[in-house]
Amino acid sequence: MTLRKTIEVVTQLAAKRAIANYAIAGAVAALNYIEPMLTEDPDIPVSVDGFEKRASGLLLLGPIEKALAQMGYTERTNVGFKIEGWPVQFLPVASPLDEEGLEQAIEIDVAEPGEAPLKARCLRAEHVVATALTIGRLKDLARIQAFLEQDAVDFNRLQSVLERHNLMAAWSEFCLKAAIKNPLFGN
Amino acid sequence: MDGHRTQYPDNSEILARKAEGRRENARATFAEKIAILERMKERVAPIVTAREARRANPGRQPPARV
Repeated sequence: MTLRKTIEVVTQLAAKRAIANYAIAGAVAALNYIEPMLTEDPDIPVSVDGFEKRASGLLLLGPIEKALAQMGYTERTNVGFKIEGWPVQFLPVASPLDEEGLEQAIEIDVAEPGEAPLKARCLRAEHVVATALTIGRLKDLARIQAFLEQDAVDFNRLQSVLERHNLMAAWSEFCLKAAIKNPLFGN
Repeated sequence: MDGHRTQYPDNSEILARKAEGRRENARATFAEKIAILERMKERVAPIVTAREARRANPGRQPPARV
């Protein structure tokens, strides 16, 4: 049971069109850019567009659940579906930032050396950082700091994202909390 | 306080080496990082299991430490 296999199942869900546009998000997306960080109870948030929607606004996981069951994954945890030993959360796009992140997601290769390439969609570093800023728990802020310390973010691109989504004040507050000089242009 | 100032060693070089180590780890491939994350997950598994057991039996006291 490996995370790689879990991601492969997510790509298969996309290939079957059980999920529409998607991207790996959160701590697992951060793996693509910074050193691995320990999470006690790691999960894989996958931002997903194309949930089945009811007139009431309710979003249904039915199609995903059905496709997963056909693939033999029926176990649920308190945070989502268990796929190859890892809990996976399918999160609906809930903001313009999420929507942009999904549109601009990049393809990464999660295969081991020598294996056939396995491409999966992953949020760009700047969207991982901006999303962490909006969530704002201590572990999210620590993740942002890791991106900065490990030179894993493009400041021009980050500033554009933050400006587009009215997050510059939150960014200034983060810099104050982290006791760092604001690295963005004009600050 | 005897008026003497304690001389502390300069650890900035150690911290710089650690920071460089983190940048080095960040350059690993996604697959290599997955392997590291899975090893971390295995290491914390007993802690997670114990925490889940505590939550399932909130009245049960942990064993006394000697």
